[in-house]
Amino acid sequence: MKKLDVRLLRLIKNSKGQFISIAVMVILALTIYVSFSMVADNLNDSIFHYYDVTNFGDVFVEVVRIPKTAIDQLHRIEGVEVAQGRISSDVPLRVEDPNEKVRVRIVSLPQETEAINGLYTIEGRELQENPKTTVVLQQFSDARGIQLEDRITPYIAGREYPLDVVGIVGSPEYIYLMENEEALLPAPEKFGVIYVTEDFAQSALGYQGSYNEVMIKINEEYIHRIDSIVDEIEDELDRYGVRRIVKREDQLSHSMMMQEVEQLEMMATAITLLFLIVAAVIINVMLSRIVKNDRMSIGVMKALGYNNLSILGHYTKFSLLIGLVGSIIGIILSIPLSMAFTNMYILYMNIPMFQMKVYYTYFVYGILLTSAFCILSGLMGARSVLKILPADSMRPEAPKTGGRIWLERVKFIWNRISFSWKMVIRNILRNKRRALFLVMGIALTYAITMVPVFMSSVWNNLFMLQYGEFQTMQYNIDFAAPMNHNALRELSKVIEVDRIEPKAEVPFELRNGWKKKAVSIIGVPKDTEFYHFKTPTGESVDLPRNGIILVDRLASTLGVSTGDEIIIKNFMPDKEDQSIEVKGIVEQYLGTNAYMDIEAMNDLLGEKGVITGVLVDSRDKVVPKLQDVKNIRQVQSVEDMKNSFLEFMDMMIYSVGVMMLFGGILGFAIVYNVTIISISERIMEFSSLRVLGFDKKEIYKMVTRENGLMTFLGILLGMPLGYAMSVGMVSSLAMDMITIPVIINPSSYVITAIATMFFVTIAQLATIRKIYKLNFMDALKNRIS
Amino acid sequence: MENDTLMKVENVSKLYQMGEVTIAAAKEVSLELYQGEFVVILGPSGSGKSTLLNILGGMDLPTEGKVFMEGEDVTGYNDRKLTIYRREKVGFVFQFYNLMANLTARENVELATEICKDALDIDEVLEAVGLGDRKEHFPAQMSGGEQQRVAIARAVAKNPALLLCDEPTGALDFKTGIKILTLLREINKKYNKTVIIITHNVPIGEMADRVIKMRSGEIIETKINKNPIHPEGIEW
Repeated sequence: MKKLDVRLLRLIKNSKGQFISIAVMVILALTIYVSFSMVADNLNDSIFHYYDVTNFGDVFVEVVRIPKTAIDQLHRIEGVEVAQGRISSDVPLRVEDPNEKVRVRIVSLPQETEAINGLYTIEGRELQENPKTTVVLQQFSDARGIQLEDRITPYIAGREYPLDVVGIVGSPEYIYLMENEEALLPAPEKFGVIYVTEDFAQSALGYQGSYNEVMIKINEEYIHRIDSIVDEIEDELDRYGVRRIVKREDQLSHSMMMQEVEQLEMMATAITLLFLIVAAVIINVMLSRIVKNDRMSIGVMKALGYNNLSILGHYTKFSLLIGLVGSIIGIILSIPLSMAFTNMYILYMNIPMFQMKVYYTYFVYGILLTSAFCILSGLMGARSVLKILPADSMRPEAPKTGGRIWLERVKFIWNRISFSWKMVIRNILRNKRRALFLVMGIALTYAITMVPVFMSSVWNNLFMLQYGEFQTMQYNIDFAAPMNHNALRELSKVIEVDRIEPKAEVPFELRNGWKKKAVSIIGVPKDTEFYHFKTPTGESVDLPRNGIILVDRLASTLGVSTGDEIIIKNFMPDKEDQSIEVKGIVEQYLGTNAYMDIEAMNDLLGEKGVITGVLVDSRDKVVPKLQDVKNIRQVQSVEDMKNSFLEFMDMMIYSVGVMMLFGGILGFAIVYNVTIISISERIMEFSSLRVLGFDKKEIYKMVTRENGLMTFLGILLGMPLGYAMSVGMVSSLAMDMITIPVIINPSSYVITAIATMFFVTIAQLATIRKIYKLNFMDALKNRIS
Repeated sequence: MENDTLMKVENVSKLYQMGEVTIAAAKEVSLELYQGEFVVILGPSGSGKSTLLNILGGMDLPTEGKVFMEGEDVTGYNDRKLTIYRREKVGFVFQFYNLMANLTARENVELATEICKDALDIDEVLEAVGLGDRKEHFPAQMSGGEQQRVAIARAVAKNPALLLCDEPTGALDFKTGIKILTLLREINKKYNKTVIIITHNVPIGEMADRVIKMRSGEIIETKINKNPIHPEGIEW
């Protein structure tokens, strides 16, 4: 081996703490880059392969009722390849515990041989002619422990229909299983999908010879003009009462999965870059320090006839080695990590053909990326090699100018500071670049740690605001069909209520020019006590007698503001479109909808006194008492929703922990390396202090004070940075249905500060050895060589 | 011996600009160095002897004048050629040894030889400087005299045309200093190398073939010793 390389390896051995701490950051960066990228690719490929195998549709239309012949007519639209009808309806499922509310979506399977949204049989057999049989979506059967040959009992229009489970299936429509856009989280034990024969669905749900959903495949050659085809379909189906038209890209499961893929890709880039940049900065600082220490050795090398390039290469190899060791270990670790990830996706999502494939290109990219970063930072750090003249380097360096610092001129403060603090402050201000790096590093650590702490309180905040301030009802009850005001009285007989308010919730399409959005308009009484409307700036808004109130997300989708007119398009067949004034824009975290006075709403519907549900405050056992009441589609308890949130929180803790670990590693690496560098730069100074009679503890205390002061500054700077990062995180999570409030509890700041101080302390303790091992006599003796 | 010219220095000046004042570290120095000669350059600090040594060694270029090595003009060299010049023609011995702390004695010598074309056998050279049994030791495990022997071995093993020694005994005690000087004289005889020692220590001049005295950047006296004494006869 070349002797310079031997020297390099021994140099690394002597500074192995630094080598390892930087390598760990590279390892993390590479592990995340390779595994996230591979999983994202695997996920994406598997999803589309699954779509191909199961013939996933391109457009889905929900209608009130449509006969088969009308569906066949759709083929006349240019670009429509296949159109099939089916029946879909959400009903309660009978379960052992009467307090438990479980709902299933009953979906009929088209009789055509090449069914759109075909099922993938995982267990058992396919559904055949027998109308007493069903196949069940896997997530639901897993969550509820439903097995083949079990009998499940949906409750349809007041009747129980026992069905035998003959198969467990996966569906491309429900890779990610959520009841609807309003549901925040998947709850596969509360909501599932079961597939039945068309005959059964038509007879039990009352759709003889007709359907309420149309699935459409668009010819691939026409896919680029899908929007105009969708418009044509909408016109064609208008008279059957179009409730919703959903393109594949907006389909719930699909868009969630694509979001997942995007998020993985984003994390792969963002976390990797962050760690590589920090590693590069540390390498830079460290190497420039080493080169400075090696000034004389570099002079000797030059005198011996080594050229600049080989000396520069000698030092750059240090960083390259960090990069190579880090990336190789990172790549090795990424394989089990991607497997764990893959298993997690298999567990929580339904992609029967999901496989872990290893993409070697990411190995290559990873190594190239890391090497580029390390070589560049190495060259930057070691570039002062070029300036060292062999003749000059033999002479000891001139002492640094030690002028007064600006604070000394502020006599009032300076005179009140003790001597050892004066030294601390001088040291910090004399090496501003390093101090800045340390402060920034700690600020970054704080910010990164803050994001998971913030995220873990997000759901709670969101929930508290939504159901503590905006909507204060305890139960939200939906009827199976619209009723009149008598229902209020009848319901009050079944349960004891403290307060009851009617509501009318009806889907409409709102339009402003070419911008449109299908949403529910909720009609509530003028004097509602359950809804408290507030503008995003916090002023309260009264429900207007005429006009409409929009949730802010909806207003921005439509591009309207208060005072504008919008068009309400009625889904009911043969109803005219109407124009209405926007009277207010309100903040709401969950759900995207609009509000009107219930009476104005009835005018809009052209019927008097119609209600679709009620809002209730009650101390009664509402859920079990209403379990079997005919005409009640669902009873939603705010308390239950809160509990399912809390369950979800447990899952969050895991990812919060991982994120905090990342922040911790970053903080450790920065503080550890900067402290080591700072100690090695000041060996002479410490030695002199030792000779003057300072003991090791006192010197260590001085270093600790410096770091303590900078940690304090770092945390101060980290607070706004953490806030900004949390805002960034929230906007990257921006969803159609949810606004996440950026409310950072004071306790989050405190918890993050404690965590940051903990990381700094660990790093600080790791450097204590360096001071205690310092042989000050040697340091003074060898000041020349 | 005097017929074989190795280096020729012609009117070399080295000027430093310090603000508005120009300081001449070397003023129109001219001299010739011969093959196999043992030269001592004497002078107090600030006399320009180190500047001259740096210029001879290709570590620095003169402001004016020319330096020829084996007939070739070194002053016209660019950085790359100067590096090759240092690599192949010159061996340095420094006052403070300047060994690589994390390389063993043998490795320190190898560091120098592995970039040279006709390096000498390392073990033989280490044997010659009396370190046959200390080859695997690190500098920190050796005395100052031993470290300087490694430094001499490092310079000699490159098989350079010229051995430049800057205060080689400056950091050593008297006895060890004499041993190092004896070694340099032996090397000079055994390998027929031109050896130049610069020092402020006047008695060392007694062992030289030629003594060049400098003061304020100028050569003030050149003395040829007809009968140089053995280093062991030197006292200071």
